[in-house]
Amino acid sequence: MSATTSAQKYTLTVTGPPRWTLPGEPPEVGGDPAVLLTIDRSGQVSVYSGKVEYGQGIRHGFALTVADELSISPADVDVVLADTARVPWDRGTTGSASMRTVGVQLRRAAATARRVLIDLAADRWGVKAADVELVDGAARAGSPALTLDFAALLDGLSLQRDIPDDIGPGTELAPAEDATRARRVDALEKVTGRARYSQDFVVPGMLHGKVIRPPTYGAKLVDIDTARAERVPGFVALVRDGDFAGVVAETEHAATYSLESVRVRWEESRDDASDWSLPSLLQEHAGEAVVLQESGSLDEGMGEADGVLDGTYFAPYISNAQMEPSAAVASWEDGKLSVWCGNRGPFSERAQLAGALGISEGDVHVMTLAVGGSFGTKTPTVSLEAARLARHAGRPVKVAYTRSEEFIWSTVRPAALIEIKSGFTSGGKITAWDYRAFHAGENAFRGRRGAMTPYDVPHTRVAVAGSVSPLQHGSYRSLGGAVNHFARETHMDRMARRLEMDPAEFRLRNLSHPRYRRVLEAAMDRFGWSTRKRRDGVGFGLAVGFDAGSYVAECVEVEVRDQQVQVRRVTAAFDCGAIVNPDGVRNQVEGSIVMGIGSALWEAVEFDGGRVLTTGFNRYRVPRVMDTPEIEVVLIEDDSNPATGAGEPGIVPIAAAVANAVADATGLVIEQLPIEPQLR
Amino acid sequence: MDLTVNGDLHSLQVDRERSLLSVLRSELDLTGTKYGCGEGNCGACTVLIDGEPAQSCITPVSAAAGRSVTTVEGLAAGDELNPVQQAFIAHSAFQCGYCTPGFIISATALLARNSHPSEAEVRSGLNGNICRCGAYVRIIRAVRSAATAMASPASAREPAE
Ligand code: FES
Ligand code: FES
Repeated sequence: MSATTSAQKYTLTVTGPPRWTLPGEPPEVGGDPAVLLTIDRSGQVSVYSGKVEYGQGIRHGFALTVADELSISPADVDVVLADTARVPWDRGTTGSASMRTVGVQLRRAAATARRVLIDLAADRWGVKAADVELVDGAARAGSPALTLDFAALLDGLSLQRDIPDDIGPGTELAPAEDATRARRVDALEKVTGRARYSQDFVVPGMLHGKVIRPPTYGAKLVDIDTARAERVPGFVALVRDGDFAGVVAETEHAATYSLESVRVRWEESRDDASDWSLPSLLQEHAGEAVVLQESGSLDEGMGEADGVLDGTYFAPYISNAQMEPSAAVASWEDGKLSVWCGNRGPFSERAQLAGALGISEGDVHVMTLAVGGSFGTKTPTVSLEAARLARHAGRPVKVAYTRSEEFIWSTVRPAALIEIKSGFTSGGKITAWDYRAFHAGENAFRGRRGAMTPYDVPHTRVAVAGSVSPLQHGSYRSLGGAVNHFARETHMDRMARRLEMDPAEFRLRNLSHPRYRRVLEAAMDRFGWSTRKRRDGVGFGLAVGFDAGSYVAECVEVEVRDQQVQVRRVTAAFDCGAIVNPDGVRNQVEGSIVMGIGSALWEAVEFDGGRVLTTGFNRYRVPRVMDTPEIEVVLIEDDSNPATGAGEPGIVPIAAAVANAVADATGLVIEQLPIEPQLR
Repeated sequence: MDLTVNGDLHSLQVDRERSLLSVLRSELDLTGTKYGCGEGNCGACTVLIDGEPAQSCITPVSAAAGRSVTTVEGLAAGDELNPVQQAFIAHSAFQCGYCTPGFIISATALLARNSHPSEAEVRSGLNGNICRCGAYVRIIRAVRSAATAMASPASAREPAE
């Protein structure tokens, strides 16, 4: 946004780096100062961020925090997100960090605006700034009150301010737990069907594209016969560019028929990998391990132990399976590309599109629409496909994936094999912890999250290695973290069982970290852990976790009948520091628990010979209403700690807690996910 | 063929075998009804046909011809949201919102059949719909509170903005 257009349109513009970094932390590369907040002639407050709303409530969170600072209603804050032409550069919406980085910065921008407004009013009325307050979108002072709204205060001005250094986080937050605050600013459009997702988006003159998919990964295109497709009413063209090929047609319906009518010859490559051979593949092809934690000597630790336990844990690939299959619309004009999509990193998408298409980033404009769930996936492939088809067709093109395309062609959560060997005393102290993880994907960094042990073990080694990945892997809710926690927290219970010790007691004996202890004790207390009653077929389990800066403990009750597991009850205690929107945090934790129950009990992407076999919800079971337990979320609201992630941490303990409860109910040793098939 | 959607009569020239979902979304621009799977497995595409819930992705448009179709866009009476829509807002019964229209339609149909569903009845009545964001706890709560609100029409209604 250039200074002149801002000057014409806005009466106040606040600039600063797009995200908050603590004093002393290096600023983010690429995070150059940019416009963060504007007030226009009508008094409309707008804030700008490269973050994406995919259901985590970030739009609402930003609106709340800015509204608090300016004493206006959240509904009156225009939150502009993820439009590369309008918002500051952003690295992508990951890691649940948006509120503590961008949220704080937008709040500082709002505090800057607040100061400007109050000073203007004080000057105008000849009163002290301290005597001016902002109330309901206006400045007010004295009694009888002098009142001027933002538009009037700023009338005729065109001010620009950088956020001053002395404005930091720590301004009083308005009272939470007020139902009207919890009501999301985007609620109305969601319940009326007015929200436009990328699956819904259209531009005038647009064609519909379908990519011609190979039968197996890595197959080479030999030739295409379009004779029959050309007779489909509405067929427009075949696009071929090396191994990439697709059809475009006037309607989606015609595009689907055209696709079904082309005859394609492929040369398939052989790929022997399958879901059942994966554990051994991961181990055989492991890359170099990265040691994340090392203390003492494992030999010594094992020597001090009264008991030693070996475990080999495995979590398969799982699909994000968000409800909205990927979709994008691409349009070219004079060599410049516009893309409307549902990706969660508009700037990284812009860079990837520019690179793949051989144009400059400045010629790519990415706009993100409402996103129908993400959990990390929605790779830029769909935008690139639309862009390639549109370039050849000479008209805008929309590509909307079907559910099976989504299952086969979007990314999956990496599978992992984890070996743990631990030593412990008969008094219940862990003496040695040897942890070796092999995560699918060349980059070991993906598997680091959550791998380190929080327990007080004198002799520790935690090493994580990347490995081959037969499937295209990508992000997921707490990527790596959920899997590492499953292995560690399941192993903890197995040690406790060997010692015939209560698993909570065993953890507490080895866990001095106060925030971990606090969540564990809070969850146990609310759940009634110490008074739980075993009945036939009923079991109890718990687990603790840390992710995205937040601490969480979950206690679970399950019932196992006819080889089926019903999770009856989950109590979570959650500590994400200071909380802006408690109901939003609860909503995220509940969602994480439900999602995690699916990965614990049923979910696994099956594949064989380069072909994915789980291509629909009939073969890939996800949690439904009847699978949902009673969930209680205890929030530890602790303002002495900064706000940390809320969207992901809730998922990290759940698979282990469920596995531990099933083990409790059945006496089985559970080392693998998903659990239910193992009961048959 | 003639198709009545949300009270409006449309005369359309479309392939009879085409799915009702495709016609609603592409021909009538009623994109509140969502595509989630196209196979009858997720409920994102649920509409009412003569008041009965139907998965529009596996319903040929010809099966709806001459009958009355209601989509999420047709639930509110003017600015007044229906009680289920109101309850979904009051309970923040969604995250990304993509499944929401399907759930609201299914719940509306459920409450029309059974004005006082037990929790178990709500659960089984909505089991054909998937919410991958996992907002189920709130969805159940919202539907039960909508039932209560419908039983006592005097209770405060929340107007749309
Ligand atoms: S889209 Fe119709 S049931 Fe999934
Ligand atoms: S709110 Fe996202 S799928 Fe239900």
